[in-house]
Amino acid sequence: MIERIARPDEVRRWPGSIPVSHRYTPGVAGQAFLETLRDRGVILGSRCDRCRYTYVPARLFCERCFAELAADVEVGPAGVLRSFAIGFVGVEGEPLESPLTLGLVQLDGADACLLHLVLDHSDEPLEIGRRVEVVVKPAGERTGSILDIEGFRPVEG
Amino acid sequence: MGAGMTRFMRRAQETGKELAWEASRAALESCELTLDAVDAVCLTSAPDAFDGVHMKGEYLSDGAGAFGRPFIRTYVGGGSGVFTAIQGWYTVASGMADVVLVVAEEKMSSTQPHPQAAFLTIFDNVLERPLGPNLLWIFALEMNRYMSAYGLDKRDIAAVAVKNKRNAADHPAALLGRSDITVEDVLASETLAWPVQRLDVSPVSDGAVALVLASEEAAERITDRPVWIQGVGWNLDTAYWTNRDLVFPEYVRNAARAAYAMAGVTEPRKQIHIAEPYDPFDYKELHHLEGLMLFDPGTAPEAARDGVLNRDGDLPSCPSGGLLGVGNPIAAAGLMKVAELFWQLRGEAGARQVPGSPERGVAQAWGDLMQVGTVVVLGNEGGPPTTATRLPDSPTPPASTPGHPLTEAEFRGATGAVEDAVDARYAWDAGVAISRFLGGLREGRILGRECRGCERVLVPPRMFCERCFRGTDAWVEVEPTGVVQTFSICHVSWDMKPLETPEIPAVIAIDGSSGGFLHVLGEVDPQEVRVGMAVEAVWKPVAERTGSILDIAYFRPVRGGAP
Ligand SMILES: [Zn+2]
Repeated sequence: MIERIARPDEVRRWPGSIPVSHRYTPGVAGQAFLETLRDRGVILGSRCDRCRYTYVPARLFCERCFAELAADVEVGPAGVLRSFAIGFVGVEGEPLESPLTLGLVQLDGADACLLHLVLDHSDEPLEIGRRVEVVVKPAGERTGSILDIEGFRPVEG
Repeated sequence: MGAGMTRFMRRAQETGKELAWEASRAALESCELTLDAVDAVCLTSAPDAFDGVHMKGEYLSDGAGAFGRPFIRTYVGGGSGVFTAIQGWYTVASGMADVVLVVAEEKMSSTQPHPQAAFLTIFDNVLERPLGPNLLWIFALEMNRYMSAYGLDKRDIAAVAVKNKRNAADHPAALLGRSDITVEDVLASETLAWPVQRLDVSPVSDGAVALVLASEEAAERITDRPVWIQGVGWNLDTAYWTNRDLVFPEYVRNAARAAYAMAGVTEPRKQIHIAEPYDPFDYKELHHLEGLMLFDPGTAPEAARDGVLNRDGDLPSCPSGGLLGVGNPIAAAGLMKVAELFWQLRGEAGARQVPGSPERGVAQAWGDLMQVGTVVVLGNEGGPPTTATRLPDSPTPPASTPGHPLTEAEFRGATGAVEDAVDARYAWDAGVAISRFLGGLREGRILGRECRGCERVLVPPRMFCERCFRGTDAWVEVEPTGVVQTFSICHVSWDMKPLETPEIPAVIAIDGSSGGFLHVLGEVDPQEVRVGMAVEAVWKPVAERTGSILDIAYFRPVRGGAP
């Protein structure tokens, strides 16, 4: 039933792509979060009193009980490093000039963790449970992007 | 039990999950339930490429209330919205859940430069995409075939667009309601791919819709005014769209037969009081009404012309305003039709209410590779006899319609917006049959495969027959001539930019083969092209052939050939 390919030059492949790109807008809660980060340099979360849970970044609704939430809780700027990973290769598998450290941080006052880079730790080994704080770019350089946060920096205490 | 929806918008400020949550919350609030009452969640959303989120079902799950619950996303293209109601139905009917939240979401505005990009690969990457197809080709070719087969007047088809945009003027969630539109407006709108004009087409949209379904026992606790799902059905036509009968949607009839049998509907035209057929294009509503056996083949256009389909007509069709009027966020649009029946049958449709206390309706959607029919029959009777309650005279108002539209400028200037392209490239294998077919083209020969089971010759060839489900038997060479089954005159590219020279895609039945295949016509005045015209392949010079579908430069009329 299945024919063997007798002549390899008959095997045909068509190179191509799907010519699509996307414009992602941050949504109702995402916009409140990013505008506050830009304007005030603080991190906003959303508190659900019923579920006793504070989401970060801010959300429009509670995924546990479906209550409508506001971007109404300032969290951080310090928190606890809950996990980290060190990346030595990029998306294509190419080696990175300097490794990137990613941290999952539970900011003070929040239940959810925030993902960002961990900065300035090369002189000492990182440990889960370590206190860190958010480093935000200077006011004039902030544009309303998650990159307005430079990353987390270990602190004493 | 309940239904809710967001506004349908060209560009929503809400993210996809925020849209899903707004619709889901509205649906739960409409029947005074909270998320705690939900046992399982069924979600649908069409291609991931619209939102630009891979694994979109999982991304949307929290907005659909799926956190900590059994959850499934189903996806049958444009047919998804009605299909997810079917999925919700069997999640309840199987005994898996008493209360199911059914959610449909689509956010098409993310896709750049145009959502059509997400559809390009539904064309065969080796045999069709080299021709530079536009998604509109499929619809234009089908519409022309439908019109040609019955000698239809485009005015009668345009009456559907007028009816739906006028109906939508009464829908608080509608994107394109227009109470003053006329048939002349439709006929004067820009020609995109003849016979399809701008106002024959439903708009790209963002939006979400949700329903609450419940078992008979749970329904008794939740409401004294349930609407029942009386029947469901779905069916697929062949995956080779150029081999389909483009005149009649057999797959819709098959799906409708299943749904009617379950619902005990034996005379649909008498027993169905409202229809919400799928109307991404005006002709498609008519096509589908015929597939739903509500009109004889070829007669739905007269019904549109004569007002039979109007809200106060004998068979109100798309009283919501449909996709043409309310909008077409693909998967959400289909579920909007089921929600509309729910509101209509409860007498809660407000200004859209169909007169005469309708008791049964049918909703239908269409999609996949344009070959799935999904059908749901809803009615006021059903469930345990004791719960069949007469409707009260003063209905509760319909659920509110949240949603925040953005202007183009707000969309472009939104704080924190990120633009990105998935940098994925592909190499599509032509496969066993098509590799040999392409080798034949390089030699100036058109090769097919013969199936002795159904006595068909398949061009382009395939190694198995999808009807007999057996291997095909032998290679045959056919003549490089054929007959135009349908054609379009296309004025726009796939990203909706105007073309300097219109293209003439056509489905051509190659002489000696069964079914048609897609190519373009040349050496002909577009006005002279006719269905039934005899054409012949014009080959590229031997030295320029590469073993590609483009080794046939185009087809041209046979000189002195048939009209
Ligand atoms: Zn909550």
